[in-house]
Amino acid sequence: MNSPGERALRDRLVSKVLVLDDGGEHQETIKRFCDENGLVALKVRKNRLMSVLRSNIDLGAILYAERYGADAEENAEIALRIHTVRPELPIILRRETAADLDGVNERLRRVVCAAYTAHDTAALRRAIDEYIFSEVYPNALVRGISEISENVLAGQFPNLTVRWETPYLVRDRVIFGEVFSLIPLESGWCRGYMMLQTEERPLLDLLGAPADGSAPGFRAVNSLLGEITNLIWGAFKNRYVGDGAPDARIQVPLVVNHRQRYISFGCENPQLCFLYRLGDDADGSGFRLYQRFVFNLGWSPEAFREIAHDADEMVASGELELF
Amino acid sequence: MAKILVVDDSSTVRDEVAGFLKNSGLDVATAVDGKDGLARLKADPGIRLVISDVNMPNMDGLTMVEKIRGELGNAGVNVIMLTTESSPSMKERGKAAGIRGWIVKPFKGDAVLESLRKLAA
Repeated sequence: MNSPGERALRDRLVSKVLVLDDGGEHQETIKRFCDENGLVALKVRKNRLMSVLRSNIDLGAILYAERYGADAEENAEIALRIHTVRPELPIILRRETAADLDGVNERLRRVVCAAYTAHDTAALRRAIDEYIFSEVYPNALVRGISEISENVLAGQFPNLTVRWETPYLVRDRVIFGEVFSLIPLESGWCRGYMMLQTEERPLLDLLGAPADGSAPGFRAVNSLLGEITNLIWGAFKNRYVGDGAPDARIQVPLVVNHRQRYISFGCENPQLCFLYRLGDDADGSGFRLYQRFVFNLGWSPEAFREIAHDADEMVASGELELF
Repeated sequence: MAKILVVDDSSTVRDEVAGFLKNSGLDVATAVDGKDGLARLKADPGIRLVISDVNMPNMDGLTMVEKIRGELGNAGVNVIMLTTESSPSMKERGKAAGIRGWIVKPFKGDAVLESLRKLAA
């Protein structure tokens, strides 16, 4: 259980930013700005930059100095590589003289979203408000999600201690671990998904051997994660949605184990599958596209019908239909 | 001995609930969703109590109860919902379909064992 002080911390959302800036004289300014604006500044050595970007560090943005590289070309090259690996991360450029992109190398300009100077951090503030803290998450919701999840986890793992970090905002889209679940959240005030992401091995170790002596399989991990998802989802609905959902429908968690290249829709139903091959006859290049349908929440083929249209009513794809 | 049918798409919950009931000396069968539950109930007239989740693939728990009372014409079997859901509208739908009780997960077996025994008798 976290202390009251730690609980209070949860009321303030933070975000991690990677600071790529060797300008020693500005370090204190940037650090102070981060401390005052809910940013956790992370540093990384140049030779580890790409491996860090490929790992799970849940970043909100990159604070990038105009003179990070040895020269303008290298500086643009590094920024382009960052953008290639993590296109979802805003790159905010620290310039020496003016908080704008005038005169910035054209290649670099294409991948940075805003500029600031150490003397004008108001521009940095505007950028993080626009790119990181752009949504309002009510404190009661943030605190409540932590409480609900802590209770569920403590119930599922009574022999383990549950701790949490200050909730934070991320822009990167990296999936943590090897297993994740996904369930829709639908209400009058929100529509989206909750995801849980974790590692397979530690959970397998926790599950231990089944009573029949067989080895615990990854499906047991999937099932456990699915149930935790279901419990948190149910508690979320009970606390924040109630009967106010515009269209309260049955939902089950989807569980993806990408280590095993496995996705569960919660049932054993065969999927209806189509395979398309697209190729260039001249050079043999091409690709395959798999299309699968799974009707896991309901399937009544006896009620199937094709909607008949009068030919006059049909509007070809791409045409403007006027009413 | 009267049998209890545990219907849940989560093997974690099925194992937990069925294991607890078996260890408590009760005869238990399991089903993976509402469709499976309906089939097992049709095949086994010895089932006296159904403990079912609501949110399940293929057929949800409330639809299963409606079919138990409607298609199967089985008014005798007791049905308890064990679910994360607690919305009044869902409970009303369950009551209208003839369920006997509603348990919000997580399952705390010791707290409900005696009631379950009576409903399965």
